Amino acid sequence: MFRFLGTARLVVVGGAISYRALFNWTTPPMFIGTLLVGPLLQVFFFVFLGRELGVADDRFHLVGNAVLAASASCVYGGTMAVANERRYGTLGAVLLSPRHRVPLWAGRALPYVLNGLFVSAFVLAAASLVLGLPVPTRALPGLALVLLVAAGACSAFGLALGALGLRFRDVFLVSNVASSGLLLLTGAAVPRETLPQWMRAAGELLPLTHAADAARGLTAGAGLDRVLLGAELAVGAGWALVAVALLALFERGSRRRATLDTM
Amino acid sequence: MNTGPLVKRVPRLVLVGVRTHVSYMSRSPLEITFAVLVPLVYATLAVYLFRAAGDPDRLLTASVGAGLMGIWGSVLFGSGGAVQNQRWLGTLETLVVAPTPLALVLLPITLATAVIGTYAMGATVLWGVLLFDVPLDFAHPLLFLVAVPVCVLALGMTGLLLAATFVLLRNANALANPLDTPVWLLSGLLVPVTVLPAWTHPVSWALPTTWGARAVHAATSGGDVVAPLLAAVALGAGYALAAVLVLGRVERRARAAATLALT
Repeated sequence: MFRFLGTARLVVVGGAISYRALFNWTTPPMFIGTLLVGPLLQVFFFVFLGRELGVADDRFHLVGNAVLAASASCVYGGTMAVANERRYGTLGAVLLSPRHRVPLWAGRALPYVLNGLFVSAFVLAAASLVLGLPVPTRALPGLALVLLVAAGACSAFGLALGALGLRFRDVFLVSNVASSGLLLLTGAAVPRETLPQWMRAAGELLPLTHAADAARGLTAGAGLDRVLLGAELAVGAGWALVAVALLALFERGSRRRATLDTM
Repeated sequence: MNTGPLVKRVPRLVLVGVRTHVSYMSRSPLEITFAVLVPLVYATLAVYLFRAAGDPDRLLTASVGAGLMGIWGSVLFGSGGAVQNQRWLGTLETLVVAPTPLALVLLPITLATAVIGTYAMGATVLWGVLLFDVPLDFAHPLLFLVAVPVCVLALGMTGLLLAATFVLLRNANALANPLDTPVWLLSGLLVPVTVLPAWTHPVSWALPTTWGARAVHAATSGGDVVAPLLAAVALGAGYALAAVLVLGRVERRARAAATLALT
């Protein structure tokens, strides 16, 4: 019982403290400008592009980009959760801890899941209001679940990228590339059937792809597609495993080469 | 007052300054990635969307539009943070006490950010040619080669106003981050401004990016190039003049309050 409480405390309190300390650029104006207004304006950009080209309707772009909005906090946050420990010289202290690494790192990803969920929900609600595309009330529970799973999968992806921060210096370069990759490959901004086969295959392995399709189905009144939800869960679990494996691998390597805090 | 030496010195100062800052910015992999990668992703998205829309004749327009988006992105983030970067580098005081007016010291920096943006233009056009067989059938090839540098000049001058105003705002980044997509949209870089609501048109007309993009697109696919190009330069000069006034006020305030070096 005490062990469970200790682990829960590590996940929740440790995660909250690390979020406050490491995701430190998110002052209220930055949060509003970068995480809320930026993605909202991106929805309008793609909606008008879609209207001009007639490839997909407003709802396609609205929902896809709202799901994608979680990626800003999840990918960059996940990266910062690991890489900034190294940058601020606190990584050694964290890794000296005898605690199990899985709850330690999972706790760090948790705030970004909630952050991503909030951002996606805000963008979806605000863009729906402005564009006059109401979301059916009965779809809301399913949508909340889909957005939660999407944010979770994306945070696991971000944590896997952050693990690279234990080995490489310029990890934010990697997260920028990954963020652009999500825009291109997940089908959030462009119908996936217009992409070549290899890009569609790559998209299948990325977070948000299946969630975007599931969310579109829900807002169109089709109900929750459990297969898509399961696929998003599987992708998220896969990236979580990759993150844990990479973190363990690079931790061992850094200890061996004594390069843990070397910038 | 003999203005002869000043007239001779200013072009030299601007040219040497632009060369210095372009060299400096070109040494940062992160800067180059920002300048090239995101426009390439948008160019790819645009090409697939335009193809799906059955509009293959506009693929070159899509590549050029994505390049223009890259130039604006570079100006927005580079020029917006120009003064702040000098603060962080510890060179702002030296620049302010130099006998050369501060606006003339900052102008080469903002022009350099626009020049760095041309990497994006080169990359997106080359990307289109190599990967998507986009034919380089410019309506006015020579005018295109004139329109792009003049558009860069206009955007660089606009960047000076960004540099001047952003220094007044403590949370300038919070404003800069979401300013990317609305300017893409309002300037018709990828989507014609005619698809936007009528109330946005006066805002579009007030942006040098609108006229610069119109000139570059006209050189690409046909139409009047010279008139929009002149409008872009005139508007850019107006923005630069406004920047000079704002910078004078900012400099006086910072000197009086002794806050020049404070972040």
